[in-house]
Amino acid sequence: MAERAVEIRKSFHQSLDEVGQELVRLAGMVTEALGKATQALLDGDLAVADDIIRGDDLLDTLTLQIEEHCYQLLTLQQPMASDLREVVTAIRLTAEIERSGDLVANIMKAARRMYGVAFDPKVRGLIEHLGAQVHRQFRLAIDAYVERDETLAAAIDDMDDTVDELHVHYIQAIFETHEQGSVALQSAVQLALVGRFYERIGDHAVNIGERVQYMVTGWLPEHDAVARQTVRDADGDHLPLRPFGTGEQGSGPN
Amino acid sequence: MSSALVVVSVTTLVVALVSALALSLVSCRTMRLRFGEEASAEAQRREETRATISRLAGALGAIPQGVVICDDGGREVFRNPVAKAYVRGRHGEALVEQAIQDQLVALRAGGVPPRTLDLYGPPRRVLVLSGMALGDGPSPPGALVLVDDVSERRRLEAVRRDFVANITHELKTPIGALGLLADTVAAEDDSSVVRRLTERLTEEAFRVSRIIDDLLDLSRIEADGAPRCETVSIRSVVSEAVERVRPLAQTRGIELDVEELPRWHAVQGDQGQLVSAVANLLENACKYSDAGSSVEVRSRVNDGEVEVEVRDHGIGIPGRDLERVFERFYRVDPARSRETGGTGLGLAIVRHVATSHQGEVHVASREGEGSVFTLRLPTGNRAGDFPLVGATSSPTNGDDPT
Repeated sequence: MAERAVEIRKSFHQSLDEVGQELVRLAGMVTEALGKATQALLDGDLAVADDIIRGDDLLDTLTLQIEEHCYQLLTLQQPMASDLREVVTAIRLTAEIERSGDLVANIMKAARRMYGVAFDPKVRGLIEHLGAQVHRQFRLAIDAYVERDETLAAAIDDMDDTVDELHVHYIQAIFETHEQGSVALQSAVQLALVGRFYERIGDHAVNIGERVQYMVTGWLPEHDAVARQTVRDADGDHLPLRPFGTGEQGSGPN
Repeated sequence: MSSALVVVSVTTLVVALVSALALSLVSCRTMRLRFGEEASAEAQRREETRATISRLAGALGAIPQGVVICDDGGREVFRNPVAKAYVRGRHGEALVEQAIQDQLVALRAGGVPPRTLDLYGPPRRVLVLSGMALGDGPSPPGALVLVDDVSERRRLEAVRRDFVANITHELKTPIGALGLLADTVAAEDDSSVVRRLTERLTEEAFRVSRIIDDLLDLSRIEADGAPRCETVSIRSVVSEAVERVRPLAQTRGIELDVEELPRWHAVQGDQGQLVSAVANLLENACKYSDAGSSVEVRSRVNDGEVEVEVRDHGIGIPGRDLERVFERFYRVDPARSRETGGTGLGLAIVRHVATSHQGEVHVASREGEGSVFTLRLPTGNRAGDFPLVGATSSPTNGDDPT
């Protein structure tokens, strides 16, 4: 009986390991696409843009497979404690990574719409910088997951300040070039959207970092918010407009 | 008689039985001996096979390509260390393992052409996955996949291809123009047109002359190997280079902001080559800056090295070109570069001068913000100080030459 239990656990951990590897592969596809997307956007490379847009279907397929795998583990093995956190984290990370992949595809769709438009050198420089920073942030978030490194996972949030700052400079540069008449309104809007997509991918990397912290320690930044709200409730300090549920809705980026 | 017969019969029977037993024992021993010999031969064969496999595995482990082999049932039976590194790869490398598995399946099913994986990285890598089916029976055969990292080969191919294309273009364009202009001048009677065309002829001739001069400079630096070794003041190198570039800066409306080092900071090397290197960096900075902007030159001594930094606020260099700007005739923007009158050899000369002085040149840049080129040269002593008054000989070691 005990041997059978050991065998089941072994099989469970093997499956959990497989889920981890599938997740890393999914993230690898997004990281690769993200790096190539920035270069394709700057080069006006339609072939790469098309590859990335079509590659999104493969991302969705793998996402569904990983989710199915996780649900099977939950229902058949009923994991507990840290094992349960691993499976739940895998489900959450899959969604974050898949959404990041969608945003990369969106950048490529914008690149197609802007085909033939010559970008101002300053805007080009900022796109390159923003793309590289988000790419680095996303890679480090996945490194934190693979290495179960809660310190690195926590640092992703701080890194995101750089992305936000770059995003602000980037939007200012678009305004300036539009005012100078070097870029048409339609392209300026597309460029602004591209910046927003990069910024959102940065936010997803932050979410991955937070979920990794949860996986390792069982703690989420939202837990601090819940604690604060509990103290307010105890003091009778009610907000005039209460959000749904007992705590504030996510303090992190959404 | 009957009793004697019985005794004989019993004796015969006993002898027969003993003989049979002996025969059996002998046979058994013979069989045991034979079996022992066969077993020993089998063990020897097995040992030899094991040694051969070990040698083959060692040989496959020593090659730079990744090797993965699967058997008839699709079960992986061998993977060399290079291929093992892909098993738990992350980011782009995580895609290599999947590609290997896909290739193995495809090869067992009937063969596929080699597949190229272009990984963004960083670092950027190009991997080619090729392979073959093993065995040719009715059952699905085994397969072998070879993962070859061709990144460096591809990079060198691109450098060579671009070099040939660029040098052809750089030399053919002005020479073709010279021929056409000469033909037109010969057939033209209008003196004003002839004057205008002659001016163009002079410009094109000057352009060819500059390219040839730069090529000669470059080949001289390459051929000389170690440069002339004299104590050279960095301040005098920078001053001479600045004076050489000042007319260009004034023409383009660029301010040269120079922060000078004290005179005693020096390096060992060839003054002419070093001036040429710094002047090329300054010329480059002036050519790619807008009118009204400034080019800054800073020198400092840092832990046994002299650094000369040339900073501009011009158009900058895209990230993907940063590694290639020091190649001969490489152009980030060919149209703009030719407008500015460059030969495409300036930065190649800088790199060669830096290398021949055991130094290095580094560039950091962002499009739209400008570039910073840093030339680092070893001083030969940690403080970077050498007595310069009448000093022309070189120190033989790291100590101050007093």
